[in-house]
Amino acid sequence: MWGCSQAPQQATGEHPTIVSLNPCTDAILAEVADPAQLLAISHYSHDPRATSMPLGQARRLHATGGTVEEVLALDPDVVVAGAFLPPATAQAFDRLGIDVETFGIVPDLAENATQIRRLAALAGHPERGEALLARIDEALARARHDACPERLACPASRRGPKVDALLWQTGGIVPGEATLIARLLAHTGFASHSAARGLGQGAYVPLERVLADPPQVVIAAGSERMLTHPVLRGLVGVHYERLDPSLLYCGGPTVVRAVERLAEIRARIPLPPAGGPRGGPLRDERTDPPPTPPASGRGA
Amino acid sequence: MTLAARALTVAKRLADVSVSLEPGRITAICGPNGAGKSTLLQCLAGLIEPDGGQVLLGGAPLPPGRERAQRIGYLPQVGEVAWDLSVAGLAALGRLPHGDRGEAQVAAALAAVDLAHLALRPVSTLSGGERARALLARVLAGEPGWILADEPLAALDLAHQLALLARLREAADRGAGVVLVLHDLALAMNHVDGVLVLDRGTLAADGTPAEALSEDAIARVWGLTARWLGEPGARALTAS
Amino acid sequence: MMIRPIPLFTLLLVLAIPLSLLAGRVWLDPWTTPNAAVILAQLRLPRALLALIVGAGLGAAGAAMQGYLRNPLADPGLFGIAPGAALGAVASFWFGYAASAWLLPVFALVGAGGAMALLALIAGRSAGIALFTLAGMMIASLAGALMSLAISLAPNAFAMSEIVTWLMGALTDRGWTEVRLAAPLTLAGIVLLRLAGPGLDALTLGEPAARSLGVSPARLQALLILGTGLTVGSGVAVAGIVGFVGLIVPHLVRPLTDRRPSALIVPSALAGALLVLVADCVCRVLPLVTELRLGIALSLVGAPFFLWLLLRMRREAWL
Repeated sequence: MWGCSQAPQQATGEHPTIVSLNPCTDAILAEVADPAQLLAISHYSHDPRATSMPLGQARRLHATGGTVEEVLALDPDVVVAGAFLPPATAQAFDRLGIDVETFGIVPDLAENATQIRRLAALAGHPERGEALLARIDEALARARHDACPERLACPASRRGPKVDALLWQTGGIVPGEATLIARLLAHTGFASHSAARGLGQGAYVPLERVLADPPQVVIAAGSERMLTHPVLRGLVGVHYERLDPSLLYCGGPTVVRAVERLAEIRARIPLPPAGGPRGGPLRDERTDPPPTPPASGRGA
Repeated sequence: MTLAARALTVAKRLADVSVSLEPGRITAICGPNGAGKSTLLQCLAGLIEPDGGQVLLGGAPLPPGRERAQRIGYLPQVGEVAWDLSVAGLAALGRLPHGDRGEAQVAAALAAVDLAHLALRPVSTLSGGERARALLARVLAGEPGWILADEPLAALDLAHQLALLARLREAADRGAGVVLVLHDLALAMNHVDGVLVLDRGTLAADGTPAEALSEDAIARVWGLTARWLGEPGARALTAS
Repeated sequence: MMIRPIPLFTLLLVLAIPLSLLAGRVWLDPWTTPNAAVILAQLRLPRALLALIVGAGLGAAGAAMQGYLRNPLADPGLFGIAPGAALGAVASFWFGYAASAWLLPVFALVGAGGAMALLALIAGRSAGIALFTLAGMMIASLAGALMSLAISLAPNAFAMSEIVTWLMGALTDRGWTEVRLAAPLTLAGIVLLRLAGPGLDALTLGEPAARSLGVSPARLQALLILGTGLTVGSGVAVAGIVGFVGLIVPHLVRPLTDRRPSALIVPSALAGALLVLVADCVCRVLPLVTELRLGIALSLVGAPFFLWLLLRMRREAWL
């Protein structure tokens, strides 16, 4: 092992040593691999703003800065990375004959399952991959809108129509339809406000457009000024919720936390009265009288 | 070698100027502002391509580039020195056309301008007069056959003017040809061998100082009524 | 002068290069660290050489640039070649740079070549230095604007961050491929800049006097453009944008020379090599979560240095 190997050795036994360079794969591997197998995770997982796994668990694992030198010194059997490896690093691995298992951004739940199974197989613990998937499926079932397994109690909001939601990310951009978060939103009972208007991945939505053509709920995934502007909280008929942006980046165990949060948001949105006001002009809570409901009085 | 201009024309600045200059003499180019003095000098130095006519050195057209630079030394009006070189370093720049360090020639040039004792001093520490002499040393270090200087005395006090003129006279005595653009008519009258007077781009006079700068000539070209006072070699000009 | 610059910097380099091999995020113990020989031979050694090459190119380009513009505040970026090369590299990200290890550097060199051609075309025949400076600044801002546009059009945050990170300049994980690309180009560029030496010396006296000394302005400009394009272009192609070296190094070297621009070029190359090597070692050993980026480290050093320089110049009233 000293100075000779150019390529990682074949798995010794069924549980090869792994170095992960990406916070998404870090989180999955922390679930499916033994701590002794996981020689190192990425430094992002030690950063509370960027991590996709519990910080306490992450800090018990060694982290690298992502340089080839560090990976070589750890001499793992398998190297796992995301699709956006710096060009020089990727070429250095290639030059040195080190195979890197690459995992791209997860666009939907099927790919999420594929990646989890692939990582579990790499770690030699396929059964743990299935266990993680089962947990994810259970969380999805609990959070699913418009279907209500009998053995769980279902609040009334679970059976209503889909709520028009705008998921607004840092930079004022919206996710496209072919993203994991878009599918989770649909799963938990939201309709995409941006997709209905033909906006695709990365499209920019300015604050004024949100005010002029508001959704039923604004889900702000970021803490910059535009997303947290006070005017958003004062809009009539428009709910304002926050979402931790770290729930957007990865699949794996993050999906559990993401759907739980989305279901929580969905549960807080009451059914609108039929024909009721939506997105009316701002009113001052202290002095203006509340709007009178329409006289027709048709129930929900 | 003779330096000559034949029917030199530069659009809007010179019209059909022909002169012939011999080495070993100091010639001044005089004239009112805008007469084309600097333009004529730069044509003779090969820095401006004339629109008509040509400049001849020893009967042949001016050679290009380095060969011309070895024969003709040009001292521009504005003596900028971008970097704080030593005096010797500045003078050594004059050896660039020859491509050698020419330490002997540089030392001789510094001695000729009486700056040998300041050879290692930075140029920024020199006085105005010393700086003008250092810039002249740069030209002398190249040992050119012709020295063309554009108003070299402009920023100097009288003592330094006379000192610089003395250096130029020594260079002429050693065989170089010297052409100066001068504003000061009295200096021209007293210290040079020949004068060219330009009037709005044309050659108005070409002869000895006494001929070219006669009171009639001054009246015609400068539009001034003037009188020369004093003795030859120490004349002063009064104008009314 | 008391200390000759070339022997001095050569000696310092001879000392620094072996020491640089010890610097890294991994403490190398030859007997126990896995892959120690690979780390040394395939990562640290080429990286040290690349630091020397990039530093030498930038140092020489800075010295030549300051000589040409007769301004001690000139920096190789002013010609617009570094931004042009960076724009080429950013374009390669769009075309899937991962397809080949050569794609990104080749695109960067094409970008540098484009900037050079544009510069020659605009400043061109008249070869005046004022026009040349303005042309360079225009190219720099045009390239910068196009780069910002390309970055803003990135499909997702990760792609964008990848481009931006690369632009910040680093030598992390570079290897012999980059050395083989940059070494001949940088060497050729330094040779061309050295050939421009006599012309730069003559320029000390101003453009008319320089021409009277037989300097061809067009030839001098061509040498500057080609020399800077090769050195700076190849540097950006392998390392991203590394700034301040070309600005700082001639100032450090000038007091040790007779101040003629030609005498500055080779010593600035050596001093630039030393500076980038030392800066890169610092980047590698600082105990941060990951390596500090070289471009950032040099900016952190360069900006205070620049300020000190301006204050000193104001005191001396040399400007």
